[in-house]
Amino acid sequence: MRKQRRFSLLVLVVLVGVLLASALVSAETVTLTLGSWRVDDVEQVNRLLDAFHKSHPDIRIRFNPTNPPDYNAVLRTQLTGGTGPDLMYVRSFKVGQDLFAEGYLEPLTGLEGLEENFSVGSRAAWSLNDVPFAVPFMAVSHGIYYNVDLFKKHNLEIPQTWEELLQVAETLKAAGVIPFSNGSKDEWDMNEIVFMNLLPNFIGGREARLEYETGEVPFNDAKMVSAFKALQDIAPYLPPGQEGVSYYDAQQLFLLGRAAMFFGGSWDVAFFVSSEPDFEWSVFATPAPEGRPTVVTFHPDAGLGLNSASPHKEAGLKFLTWLTTVEAAQILADEIPGFYPLNQTSITLQDKHANDFYALHEGKDVDARFVWPELQSGDPDGYLLTQTAALAVVKGSMTPEEAADYLQEGLETWFTPTQKFKK
Amino acid sequence: MAQAKRRFRKDHWFFFTIPALVIYVWFMAFPLFNSMRMSFYQGTGLIPTQFVGLQNYVELFTNPLFRDRLLGALKNTCILFAICMGIQNTLGLLFANILAGRLKGRSVFRTIIFLPATMSVLVTGFLWKLILNPHWGAVNQILVRFGLKQFEGYPWLGKPETAMIMVGLVTAWQWVGIPTMIFLAGFQGISEDVLEAASIDGASALQIFWKVKLPLLTPVIGLVAVMTFVGNFNAFDIVFAMTNARGAPEYSTDIMGTLFYRIGIAGQHPVAQPNMGVGASIATVIFFILFLGVSMWMYLRERGSRVQ
Repeated sequence: MRKQRRFSLLVLVVLVGVLLASALVSAETVTLTLGSWRVDDVEQVNRLLDAFHKSHPDIRIRFNPTNPPDYNAVLRTQLTGGTGPDLMYVRSFKVGQDLFAEGYLEPLTGLEGLEENFSVGSRAAWSLNDVPFAVPFMAVSHGIYYNVDLFKKHNLEIPQTWEELLQVAETLKAAGVIPFSNGSKDEWDMNEIVFMNLLPNFIGGREARLEYETGEVPFNDAKMVSAFKALQDIAPYLPPGQEGVSYYDAQQLFLLGRAAMFFGGSWDVAFFVSSEPDFEWSVFATPAPEGRPTVVTFHPDAGLGLNSASPHKEAGLKFLTWLTTVEAAQILADEIPGFYPLNQTSITLQDKHANDFYALHEGKDVDARFVWPELQSGDPDGYLLTQTAALAVVKGSMTPEEAADYLQEGLETWFTPTQKFKK
Repeated sequence: MAQAKRRFRKDHWFFFTIPALVIYVWFMAFPLFNSMRMSFYQGTGLIPTQFVGLQNYVELFTNPLFRDRLLGALKNTCILFAICMGIQNTLGLLFANILAGRLKGRSVFRTIIFLPATMSVLVTGFLWKLILNPHWGAVNQILVRFGLKQFEGYPWLGKPETAMIMVGLVTAWQWVGIPTMIFLAGFQGISEDVLEAASIDGASALQIFWKVKLPLLTPVIGLVAVMTFVGNFNAFDIVFAMTNARGAPEYSTDIMGTLFYRIGIAGQHPVAQPNMGVGASIATVIFFILFLGVSMWMYLRERGSRVQ
């Protein structure tokens, strides 16, 4: 009995000691939370944070991601309720700009390293009226994955023009191979990684996009029609029953070697590498039609912003400054293949496939996904319109002309610059 | 003194309902009315704060962006209800009639019929999605094996003409066990005397079913119909599991539940900014549809029992 009491006293003393010690330690270090939608990269981001902790022992950052489809809603709820994370992943363009306009994000004007290390284009994705509100963090690239073995077997070269791509598809189809594995069951992928992947090759890069956005040309001009025509071109080369082929099915058809090509994004690299298909695979840039320059859809995806209501703003700014360094970019590139740092300094990636994909856009004109920068702030938003139109063209229920008209008429209802083309 | 005590006892019952009442009011009545209240507000934050009167309803019923989706969702929910009534409940009635008879291995069949109802909707949805897959699904492979070459690679869930029917059939497949059990209980509740009297009078088995069993089962049929009705108008999970919250393809599987989820809770990909005010007004519309349906059933039942 007595022994027991002495033992519990000992436990108590130890507990109090531990508590006191941790209180002393925490008095020295500040802990910040980092909100994100990337639940797949917890370990990788933690290694990035560890590198930061090493050089800044007085700051601790805890990575706390949310289920991706719920992120926007959860973050907004937290910010309104005053329980938002100190640091957070910020979506590019419209979603981030809304949060900044409502005052939830700290303006980052004059942040050390921001202007020096990032291009105007990538900074624009997280700026409102030239005020930056997040450090450009990750971008994703788009292209076409191909089965190298199948290409060799059928004596095919990497197509340099859109016409050659269709030729390749025709040869493959004649040989009984599914040319492209993509389908429209999940809907978003046909829009986001097929249509917006090929789109800048037909209309041009950022400059061309600005012409649409400022109302110099209507959304149903000949170039837009030609882009929808391109979807019509590839429709016969999609898998049979493509209406029932989901994004996952499309990946599997490619990985099983039943389809030779897959319109995809750099984020697929990690999954394809880990799936270890028994053939050699690589990527090429989605080619432009004869006589047009190839433009790659290189999309700014995630920035990192600071909560304007955070009690640890100083520590947060230290972290954001560190993020602009080449050191941070290199760690990010190595840890998360397929999501690329936006730092202007050239980076070499350890993963061969991710590096191949990264190399596709170098020396070429690039642009974000077409509807992201300006066309998402009204109803019906540009994303929904291109998605409906793209699906209808692939299915054959709209002609390319009708699809472009549908896009123009939908945007006319709210997008002021293009209203002058209203019939 | 004694009288007072008795009166206290008479009113005593009320105190026993308090725990249940508190839970009911807090978790059912209050959220319901609060959601109705929210349908008169607009705003982007955690709680819509700007009072807009009937504006959300005007939007919902006149703005083609919402109206077309609402009408589409109503139509698709009715298709789902029709499939569940026509196939699930009819089969349930048939199975119950068979199980109520002197069938060998009854309990085995009963278990088999009820088994799918114990599975998670997300699991059945995923399994059927695989079974109906154009490339590795069993359905198409079986059809092609039987010489129906036109079904090679047919996307059952990808065509607007077949997608809703497939979702309805999967729902029926999963839940057929519930009406079967309820009808079985109903059949077992019918007195042997009545059935014996009918057969002594020379009625055939078919006549007994139509003229004796079925009329006696009417209240149970009504109950099952209302349960199906409520279930279908609140359904969401099966569509979410088999197609997506947008009711792909081309909104052909968009039902009331997915419409509410998309507008009120999740928002549209990729901006994903929900419109809680309009979402709450959709929820209120769903509530009134259910309210009307259930009241009608209660009225008919009251009248029926009074006639008897």
